[in-house]
Amino acid sequence: MDRSEKLRQRARELLEKKEVVMVIGFGPPSDSGISPVLFATTPEEAENLTASTSCAQNLANYLLKVRDRGRVAVVARGCDARSITVLLQENQLKRENLHILGIGCEGVIENGRKSTACAVCRHPNPTIYDELIGEPVPAPEPDPEILKADQEFEQLSPDERWERLSAELDRCIRCYACRQVCPNCYCPVCFVDASMPQLLGRTHNLSDNMVYHIIRALHMAGRCVECGACHRACPVGIDLMRFNRRVAKTVRERFGCDAGTDLNQAPALTGFKPDDPQEFIQ
Amino acid sequence: MKPRIITRKQLSELLDRLAQEVCLYAPVRDRTGTSWAKISRADEVCLEAVNTVEPAKGFVFPRCEVLLRFDPQGNPVEPEPPPEQVVFGIRPCDARGIAFLVKFYTQEGRTDPYVKARRQKTTLIGVACSRTAPTCFCLGVGGSPQGSEGLDLLLVDLGDELLAEPVTDKGEKLVADLPAAGEKHLTAAAEQKKKVEAEISLRIDTGRLRELLPGLYESGVWQALALTCVNCGACTFLCPTCHCFDVTDETIRGRTVRCRVWDSCQFTLYSRHASGHNPRLDPASRYRNRIMDKFYYTVEQAGMVSCVGCGRCIISCPAGIDIRQTVRKVQDAK
Repeated sequence: MDRSEKLRQRARELLEKKEVVMVIGFGPPSDSGISPVLFATTPEEAENLTASTSCAQNLANYLLKVRDRGRVAVVARGCDARSITVLLQENQLKRENLHILGIGCEGVIENGRKSTACAVCRHPNPTIYDELIGEPVPAPEPDPEILKADQEFEQLSPDERWERLSAELDRCIRCYACRQVCPNCYCPVCFVDASMPQLLGRTHNLSDNMVYHIIRALHMAGRCVECGACHRACPVGIDLMRFNRRVAKTVRERFGCDAGTDLNQAPALTGFKPDDPQEFIQ
Repeated sequence: MKPRIITRKQLSELLDRLAQEVCLYAPVRDRTGTSWAKISRADEVCLEAVNTVEPAKGFVFPRCEVLLRFDPQGNPVEPEPPPEQVVFGIRPCDARGIAFLVKFYTQEGRTDPYVKARRQKTTLIGVACSRTAPTCFCLGVGGSPQGSEGLDLLLVDLGDELLAEPVTDKGEKLVADLPAAGEKHLTAAAEQKKKVEAEISLRIDTGRLRELLPGLYESGVWQALALTCVNCGACTFLCPTCHCFDVTDETIRGRTVRCRVWDSCQFTLYSRHASGHNPRLDPASRYRNRIMDKFYYTVEQAGMVSCVGCGRCIISCPAGIDIRQTVRKVQDAK
């Protein structure tokens, strides 16, 4: 029995036995090549569940939408599980209301090639689950081209990095798809939407684009699980993962924290440890 | 106005000349596909993609339109009038989008001077589609891969030559000196039309939607449909007909300007009243608004469905939502 079939079978059982009110997973891909999220509330609806490389979104995002409905089951790959962990750490979800159907991930295929986040994935398997569907998968060999480009970016001078960032963000149309698909970007009122007083200009000039992306990056520092959902959602193809990977790497190096891998370790910037590096106030 | 024939070489010469005389925009290749850019030579044009990532609506309805500038004493100064511009390589669906915007914004008694002025200063040269994407459905909403609505001139690529059909005097002026098209050219274009139209099978029954939608306002179908939607604005910003805006005063590099910027009904801020009350706080009500607007409100207001079937909302949706499926589910709702 293949993974998808196993998944459908377990989803049916959970719904039949009324152990959960809903199973959240993915359906077959639409004409755009992306699988829409499937919310199965009956065993029949679970028949369309699919586990494939067209599943582009982070499903943890949807748990926030249905958290008042009762116990739900969710299909979780490495990054979905890590985001769920962050949401649990931040008291946005209740563990007892979740049944996590863990599944190893082979990455998302986008425009015929592996999504840039998946090409350097370090955690293809769920880090938290109630049951594992199928076998764990080995972590892929990281794409050397991406690693090389990351390294080159890192070695640039601050001015050059700023220039690179400006060139990318100048193209942002501020549709906020990156924010909306991110499970760990959930403030009830985003600073972008504050209007009394207004904190951010509404024209699409570089300085406002910059403020939006930098504040978002800072809010995500230590919490971003590098799933790449934001990168895939960007309609104008901004290389968001280049910057996200850089932030995540800094957090790993300085705080020894890999977001969402350990339920007992709070996100780097929400806790304090006496041995935290504090060079900025020295 | 008679259809004419233009060779590839003549077309290149025409574009090179236009680039010298006015602002010439065309699709150019970029990292994510093709985008609109100001060009200076004909060979920069890329017509390989079915469509550009962003629509052409910005040429008459820019993302940021400066309405007023203020001098250092705070006195308002009228902005410069828009420049003369030519847009080449526009697809029939995008042109219909512009036709809608112009119709919507230049109605009796409520004409928008900015859209009107920009359309007057713009010449739109369309290129008919010789192939389609699985997300294309222009035919299903009243358009056509060789549609000329909204254009000044339509070109149909026949290989070495192109059929040039003037639609307005502006278009006629560009090709007046060229030889008239013969029977074989017209037949070749008609055959191409038939072939491309056959590729588009999915249709939307928009007439039925107009009847159904008012009665479905309170339907539970919206809650179910909106569950997948993440309420980002990608579909609205990339839609050739979405036309909502906000007016904002901003200080940019020390100078104050009053701008009109695109807004999206998918954003919470969009519907928030000055009092703080928000009648469309629920994501489902925002999703409903978009569908109602496309297939009901604009039909009532401007007599035209505001979906041109370009498929950009399907391509850009991070949640994989397909508006054709949405319509089908709405039609099946009780």
